Formats: sequence, structure tokens, C-alpha cells
Amino acid sequence: MTDRLTRAELDRFAEHYRLDPAGVETMLEAAEAHPSKAETRRFFVQVLGIGGLLSLAASLVFFVAANWSRLEIFGRFLIVEAVLVAAGIVALVRPPPALAGRAALFMAYVATGALLALFGQTYQTGADVYELFLTWSLLGLPFVVLGNWSVLSAAWLVTLNVALLLFCGYQPAGGLFWDAIGRRPMDQAILLCVAFAVNLVLCGLAEIFRFQAVPVWVKRIGMSWAFLFGSWSAVVGIVDDAASGLAVVYVSILLALEARYALNRREDIYPLAVVMGTCIVIGTALIIETFEFADEGMLLIIAIWLIGTSTFAARFLVARARAWRNAGVSS
Amino acid sequence: MSRLEALTEKLRAARLVAADAPPLEVDDSGRPWFVSLLLGAAGWLAGLMLIFFIGITFRMTDGLGLAILGLFLMGAAYGLYRVDVGGAFLGQLALAFSIAGQIAFAFGLLQDANSALVVSGTLLLLQIGVFVLMPNRTARAIAMLFAGIVWCYFVRFAVYPDSDWEGWFMPDQKNAQFGAASAVVTWAITWVPLVAAALWLLKRETWWMSRPLRAWFRPALTGLLVVLALGGQLTEPFATLMFGPDRWGMQFGWWSLFPLLSIGIALFAAWCAFRLRNLGLMGVGLFGALLHVSRFYYIYGTTLLEKSLIMLVLGVLLLVTAWWLRERGSQS
Repeated sequence: MTDRLTRAELDRFAEHYRLDPAGVETMLEAAEAHPSKAETRRFFVQVLGIGGLLSLAASLVFFVAANWSRLEIFGRFLIVEAVLVAAGIVALVRPPPALAGRAALFMAYVATGALLALFGQTYQTGADVYELFLTWSLLGLPFVVLGNWSVLSAAWLVTLNVALLLFCGYQPAGGLFWDAIGRRPMDQAILLCVAFAVNLVLCGLAEIFRFQAVPVWVKRIGMSWAFLFGSWSAVVGIVDDAASGLAVVYVSILLALEARYALNRREDIYPLAVVMGTCIVIGTALIIETFEFADEGMLLIIAIWLIGTSTFAARFLVARARAWRNAGVSS
Repeated sequence: MSRLEALTEKLRAARLVAADAPPLEVDDSGRPWFVSLLLGAAGWLAGLMLIFFIGITFRMTDGLGLAILGLFLMGAAYGLYRVDVGGAFLGQLALAFSIAGQIAFAFGLLQDANSALVVSGTLLLLQIGVFVLMPNRTARAIAMLFAGIVWCYFVRFAVYPDSDWEGWFMPDQKNAQFGAASAVVTWAITWVPLVAAALWLLKRETWWMSRPLRAWFRPALTGLLVVLALGGQLTEPFATLMFGPDRWGMQFGWWSLFPLLSIGIALFAAWCAFRLRNLGLMGVGLFGALLHVSRFYYIYGTTLLEKSLIMLVLGVLLLVTAWWLRERGSQS
């Protein structure tokens, strides 16, 4: 679907060659712009199937959150554990790549999180919310590996990043990350930079090993998290006087490495867009820090900076995308 | 040979393109969705900075002055779009001018307005004006998106008149025009025309693609699909964040199923995007559906236990339907 001409390009084509409705219809057919019946059915099967699975997962999460007082603690655990065991049995009987096996492992992954939440809710462990997400992502990892499915990979990536977000954002004193940083508060900019690096490394590993379960859209989710953490880290490093400016240097180095890798790889321009988006954010923060709101002229400079850099970024990215796409067609 | 050249060859063979027709020059029209997002977000923010700069520097507080400034900026944006041919720097500058102009014009015009209905109605007209007049697809798509959002507010304030500022964040139950049915009436008036418009645009795509109307209908469809996917959350941003005890604990009833319709609308947007083979918009639709599920958790209707049951039944129904469709497909 990604390699086809876009509707905007087809609009220009129809305009340029002054096609009538019949001509447009032929053009759309030739460009395979309309999904076939089989594709449409596949789309519905996938959306309804994944929608159904997510609904069942939501049902389990809602059930745990409801904290039903008429059901004994034992009963609550029994229900969630029964889901976990049933999912495991289904996955054993119909192992992945069978859809039933993958769906079962997804349910097992969600049930793991629900079980941890239920444990925390029942015994009031005092654990921070980030610990729930971190433990969930660690304990659920075997299901993700066994499932070998993009939906599971995406769910895992989101879970891990929520843990990173909660820890780097609030630095709660406790849990695995707290132990990892020596049980002492750490510079937030550096922490966020680490989260940025973690996402880049994960995307890099997926690139190198070409994991089937990590298609482009999942990698882009990882890159989007990288953009969030990288920009946040650099902005804190620049604007907050108490923060270490070193984070900006680290983020810049990582961005340069990422850009170089993406340019060499010549596959997807999304990582380059992330690099450029982060650079625009860093530049904006630098302007704010330099002028410190002392002069309204700063607002004009920011406006010009945003217009100039976004235009440059767009033109650069589109040119690269076109060149790589055409190279793909030729080969 | 590029895909564009390959398509030209195919249509030349079908005698739909003359043998001596000049080739189509490549431009930025085929840019990916995230590049459009980058441009739109940067242009919008630049417009905001620009109007703050002008407002502070020239100490503009007079309503008439602001309205005239707004018109001037929008006129400048129109001119810049006209001279911009390659989607370059001028187009982005025009977007910033247009956004700044719209803000100044709206502030100037609505400075003394007390009615939320008047404010939302005026903003709706402004966005429709921008959509019709600005000679640029990005500007039109953004205008349609904003028009859709303002439309949600307009209907809300018409059904729930005399709402205070809270009405901008979620419907204020005071003075609801249709009693208990107000929520459904608001929903129907808001979304049915938008769904119908999206469906019509999709069905008649071949017709309008062969006419100059494509310059308006394409961005209209893009903006509409984003509104269908995210409009609910964008116009009720705090409905998902406020989860006090007053927001839950109601008795189960058919009303409890009502929010599922929003999930359906977002999935409809995803289906439309699929028909257009637009992965970015499809992602927005699916993301919107997920957001609606999280909204269902926090607000509306009934207890979490009953919501859990609803999701269980819904999940089973969806899976059975998916299985049935799959079986039917393999038989045929």
C-alpha cells in the first residue's frame, strides 16, 4: 500500500491530462488505487479480529479496575489466572504463526499486566505505577517473542515506553530503574536522553535483525517515542539551568548517528523526519533560552525559524523519499 | 521508470493520454503524511508566534484594528499562495500568515461576544470562508479540520444553550433542549451529516477527480476523516481526564452502549482511509478508536463491571463476525 501513488499525485495526474470520469476510473484501476474485494474482506477480517481481541483485553482490564467487592480476592485472582492459563493452552494447541495462537499470546500479555495490577491493588504493595509497566514489559517479553506478531510488539513497545515516561518524568524513588541509577536522583535531561537512546537502539536492533514482528509501522512507533524523549531531553538540557547541558550534546550525537544510518539505509524517511523534527524543537528551545523573553522580537525569530526549517525539512524529506522510491522501482 | 511514468505509459496505451502530451512534472504533492503534519504543525505554531509578536509590538487591542489586521494577513496569505508554485518557503510563510490572520480576525470580531453559540457559529463561517478561498490544499485541509471541530461546538451550544465556559470542554447538562435524549440528538446532528459527507465524497470520487472541484473535495475529505476519528476527543479534551465519582456509577441501560457509536465512527474513518489507500489517515482512525475505548473507561454510563461485560460481549461478537467473514472468503 505504501508504494502506490498517493491520491494527491493522482489528482495532479487527472488534472494535467484532463481526464474525464471514465478516464479517471481507468487511471484509478491502472494505479490499483481501489482495494479489491479480497483486500476489503481482509481489511474487515483484520480490523474486526484485532478489534475483538482488544475488546476482550479491555474487558479484562475493566474487570480488574472494577474491584468487584462481591467477589472474594481468591475469585478475582482465579479469573485473571484462568485467562492466562487458557491463553497459554490455546497458544500451545495452535502455536504461532496461527492467528489463534498469536491472539492467545496477546491475551496472555494483557492478562500478565492485569494480574500485576490486581496484585498491587489487592496487597497495596506501594509500588509506583512505572514499576507495574516495567514489570509487565519484562514478564510479558516471552509472550512477545513467542507471538512474533506486530500487534504484540507494538503493545510491548508502548508498555515499556510508558514505564520510561513515568520514571524519567517523575523519578519515583523505587523499583528497578531506581536501583539502576544508584538510588540517587539523577539529572532529568540525562535520564530522558537514556530513554531516547533505548528507543533508538531497539529500532536499530529491529533494523539489523529484520524481525518479522517489527514492521515499519512498529518501528515508527519506536521512533516517535524517540522523538518525544530526545526533544524533551534537549529542551530540559537547554532551558533548565539546573540540568546538565551534556544531554544536548548526547542527543545531538545520537541524532547525527541516526541521520547517517537512515541516509545510508535509503529505506524509510520517517527516522530522518524524526531527526529534523527534533532539531527544529532544539533550535526553538535555543532561541527561547538565548533571548529569555526579554524582547518580543524573539517571537518573530521563532516564527521565521519554524517556517524556514520546516520548509527545508519538507523539501529535503520529499526529495529523498522520491529518489529512494524511484530507485526501488528501477531495481 | 518511476511509478508516475509507468502510469502514463499505461494510459497512453489505453489512448487516454495523447502520445505527444507533455510529461507531468514532479512536485511535492506526493509527500508522506508525517511531512504534511510537520509542515502543518510548524506553520500553525509560526502563525501563533507571528500574531503574538504583532499584538505585543503594536499593542493592538482594538477590535476593529485586529479584524482589519486579520483580513490583511489573510489577504497576504492568499497572495503568497498564488505566487507559490513549488510548495516552497512561500507556502509555509502563507500558512503562518493565514493562521495569524484568522486568530486576529476572530479576536477582533468576537472581542465582545458573550454567546458561545455566536462565537462557534462565527468561527465556523470563518473556517468555511478560509476553506473556500485559500488556494492551497494544506490550508484547506486544516480549515476543514477546524471547521469540523467548531461544528461540534456549534451543535453542542445549540442543543445546550446558555452553557458556561465548561461547555467548551464537555457538554453542560444545564438547559438541555431535548432532555435525556439531548446526548443522542447532539451526536446525531453532529456526526450523521459528517459521515454522510465523507461517504458521498468517497462514492463520487471519480466524478470530482475529473473536475477542478478536486482542489476542494480532496482536502475536505482529509479534514473530515481526521474530525471523524478525533473530533470527539478534541472537543471534549477533559472528558477523558476527569474521572471523579460523579462520572460513573450509573445504572446499566441502553444508554451505556451509546459511547460505542464513537468507536464505530472512528473505525468508519479508518475504512474510508483504507478505501483511499491512505495509511496515515488509517492510523489516525484506528488510533481514534483506541482513544474512544479509553474514554469509555473513564466516562459515560455505567459501572466498570458492566463496562467489562459490554466489552466482553462486543469482543466475542467482533471475533465471531471476523471468523464468519474469513470463512465466507475462503469458501468463495
